Amino acid sequence: MSTIACGLLLIAIFIYVFYPDRHPEAQIQKTRLDFLRERKEVLYDNLRDLNFEYRAGKYPEEDYAAQRAALENEAAEIMAEMDLLERQTLHSA
Amino acid sequence: MRKLFRFSQLGLLVLLAIFTMGSADTAVRYNDLGHKMMCVCGCGQILIECNHLGCPDSDGELAELRTALSQGKGDTEILEAFQAKYGPTVLAAPMLTKFNIIAWVVPPLVLLLGIGGTIALVRKWRLRTVAMPAASNVRGFDRIRDQIRKETEL
Amino acid sequence: MPAFGSFALLLALALSGYNLLAGAIALRQLATGSRGRVSPERLAETARRAGIGSFFAVTSAAFALVWAAFANDFSVSYILHHSNRALPGAYKFAALWSGQEGSLLLWAWLLAAYGFVLRARHKVDVKLTAYASTILSGIQIFFLLLLNFAAPPFALVAGTIPQDGFGLNPLLQYPEMVIHPPMLYLGYVGFAVPFAFALGALMMRYPGDKWIHITRRWTMVAWLFLTCGIFLGAHWAYSVLGWGGYWGWDPVENASLMPWLTGTAFLHSVMMQEKRGMMKNWNVWLIFSTFALSILGTLLTRSGLVSSVHAFAQSSIGTWFWAFLVIVLVVCLFTFILQRDHLKSEHKLESLVSRESSFLFNNLVLLAACFTVLWGTLFPVISEYVQGNKVTVSAPFYNRVAVPIGLFLLFLTGIGPILAWRSTSFKSIRKNFILPAVAALVTAIVLVACGVYPLKDQGTFYSLMAWSLGALVVTAVGSEFLRGAGVISRHTGQNIFASMIQLTRRNTRRYGGYIIHFGVVVIFIGLAGSAFDRSVEQELNFKQSMTMGPYRLVCQDYSQDTNPNYDTEYAILDVYRGDKKITQLAPEKRFYQASQTTSTIVANHSTLAWDLYVIYAGKDPDSGQPIIKVFLNPLVAWIWIGVVIVIIGTFVALTPNMTAAYAASRSRLPVRETPEMAVSKGGD
Repeated sequence: MSTIACGLLLIAIFIYVFYPDRHPEAQIQKTRLDFLRERKEVLYDNLRDLNFEYRAGKYPEEDYAAQRAALENEAAEIMAEMDLLERQTLHSA
Repeated sequence: MRKLFRFSQLGLLVLLAIFTMGSADTAVRYNDLGHKMMCVCGCGQILIECNHLGCPDSDGELAELRTALSQGKGDTEILEAFQAKYGPTVLAAPMLTKFNIIAWVVPPLVLLLGIGGTIALVRKWRLRTVAMPAASNVRGFDRIRDQIRKETEL
Repeated sequence: MPAFGSFALLLALALSGYNLLAGAIALRQLATGSRGRVSPERLAETARRAGIGSFFAVTSAAFALVWAAFANDFSVSYILHHSNRALPGAYKFAALWSGQEGSLLLWAWLLAAYGFVLRARHKVDVKLTAYASTILSGIQIFFLLLLNFAAPPFALVAGTIPQDGFGLNPLLQYPEMVIHPPMLYLGYVGFAVPFAFALGALMMRYPGDKWIHITRRWTMVAWLFLTCGIFLGAHWAYSVLGWGGYWGWDPVENASLMPWLTGTAFLHSVMMQEKRGMMKNWNVWLIFSTFALSILGTLLTRSGLVSSVHAFAQSSIGTWFWAFLVIVLVVCLFTFILQRDHLKSEHKLESLVSRESSFLFNNLVLLAACFTVLWGTLFPVISEYVQGNKVTVSAPFYNRVAVPIGLFLLFLTGIGPILAWRSTSFKSIRKNFILPAVAALVTAIVLVACGVYPLKDQGTFYSLMAWSLGALVVTAVGSEFLRGAGVISRHTGQNIFASMIQLTRRNTRRYGGYIIHFGVVVIFIGLAGSAFDRSVEQELNFKQSMTMGPYRLVCQDYSQDTNPNYDTEYAILDVYRGDKKITQLAPEKRFYQASQTTSTIVANHSTLAWDLYVIYAGKDPDSGQPIIKVFLNPLVAWIWIGVVIVIIGTFVALTPNMTAAYAASRSRLPVRETPEMAVSKGGD
């Protein structure tokens, strides 16, 4: 009884592990563009948060303007690079 | 800052007062000392909280404690007598003697050093607050900025 | 069945070994671009499937052990020692984790289960998951090696097989004990997942900080389980051990508290990395140490290095844990040194008064607390080494050293939310700080007026501090909610309550976090009550009465009962408040046949103000009179209420934000995002 159970378990798992799967998920390396997209999202979140906290009265006016400008600059640079990369991929395609 | 300093001085004073307070009443002292010692039977419980049935030691210890209190002995004297009789593990926390001082000193010291270190680190890390960063020189910045503002408004 | 279990464990070990080996080779090939006979993708896929296969193998083994328990198969030594025929079903199930071999099996099974979920969801990020899965299989191998060679749960009894087992430790025969260990282990083991992701991300030089986003829920789930585990343990100690308290600073309790503290620190500081790209080195080490501490905790208690009331845990497998801990630390250190240039911060701290720096202090204090607990736990060992004799480091030490740190932490709990990210000036802070400070002050004054004199003793002082700081935190968190809701209300025209709900849904992590902070305050309120505990012990004969606070207990009866599992002796006490009978309590003393041990069953009448906690302490050996011990423990119920609030808050934090859809609906531009990226947005 035990032996049969052991055998069944072994065979089932063996088949599951080594049964040829024709289409394994590709191990995609994250591209620069993916990375920039993530960065942009983070900066956007920070900006939304900043706007919200400003309206909730947690920043004095001048602080807010400076913070926002810094974040916008950063985001703008990223978006410009994304634009460039997207155009390049369009060209090469 | 000075206000803060004075405030912390006051705080220290209060703390000192608390730690050095003597307790007069015998019942209170019995309870206090009972919490400062362990049951030695191996149950790992605080003496006065030891509650298992037929404990071979806790009743005896508590009786000794009552006797010592009725003889008018001081707290330190009692603790030392117990330590001499049952060994240092009878004290629920080590006394402030020789090496044992380290037990008490190290954690607050670590915290203080950590606070000092963190403040130093923050100062080192800190950027001078930018009054107002200049607009980026990315091409088409104004357009991109408008897009950003539109997409991130509430 | 024992043979099947042993076989399944061996098979699981082989599969985990294959997972580690094939996974490592495949990832190496992918990284260097070399190819073997099989494509690295195919190889990696078989490794992943082997990991999933090992889950089924470990599950089979766990099933075999539970089966043996239910079938009363006393030929298995473990079942013989941890079960008996008369044991109720639920506890037979719990026998799986009541002894060392079984709890190691449970540990391995939970690890395999986490691994299963992780490997099944590998499409989130195939490559990162492949790394994490390979690392997890390394951890799994350790536990399976233990189970196969050092502590086999299916070892057979030599000689004749006894008719009945020795039974389950009676202290563990309590409903909460059925769920406390799995919860705690789920927490311990759960931290292996963010650990594996962090180490994997470092190994593969993962670009960006998205991996944190991927592991965020894992970390929170692990933290939630650990929190539940710790408090279930506390509640169990309170209800079963019968000494009137819930936390005794026992090494085993400390062992569970340490990873909780560093895990909490990680949950906070990781937000700085996610939002601002800061503190990458620090976070990596925090999660490394959280994992190492959960191993160290097990090591401390299993190796007998420190003595503990959880004596059943002691054994010789400490050496294995030492070796494993050293290997883990070496691997972490090695990877860190090789890849540390990958961990450069993108930002610097702007100011001392921003939320960033409050997180720094929060981390510092949590770590100092963790260090204090570790120091107190290890000091007896150090003392023995240095001055040749052991000392005891128990409650009085922690009360004096750890409690102030806890209060400081409570203070930061209130300060943090007031501060804004990157804020630079004191001006707005002062404005937001005034109200909470006033609330704290008023609370303190009112309490002193009500007779809580801070100079009376240490405990009273701490309690006063805890309650005042609690008022500060509640006001800070409350005004934070109101301010946020105000913005939404102005924006959408909804009423303030609807706005609050929308506010929370927009940023579940932040406002869920605030709910957790609120729960923590409630817990502290309950803990502070312990300074005012009272107790009285008295011989109480038939129809006699005793008083405790506002209550009068009248003894109605003493009785005895017996069932196959245990004999019981109990008192029936009527509880009066004034002339009105409120309830009837029946504290018990049980004698378990199989294990020949006694245990107390506490009778507790719990109200929001206090618990009337009654123990039947047995009969006086001289007079033969029954002894009743009564405790009046103020505010204990609030601890458990606070825990429930913490759990609710964590669930809120675990729900996805609705910001993404909201933002998309408002923006007329097409949203260029993958659906998975839109799962949750927003901030901390």
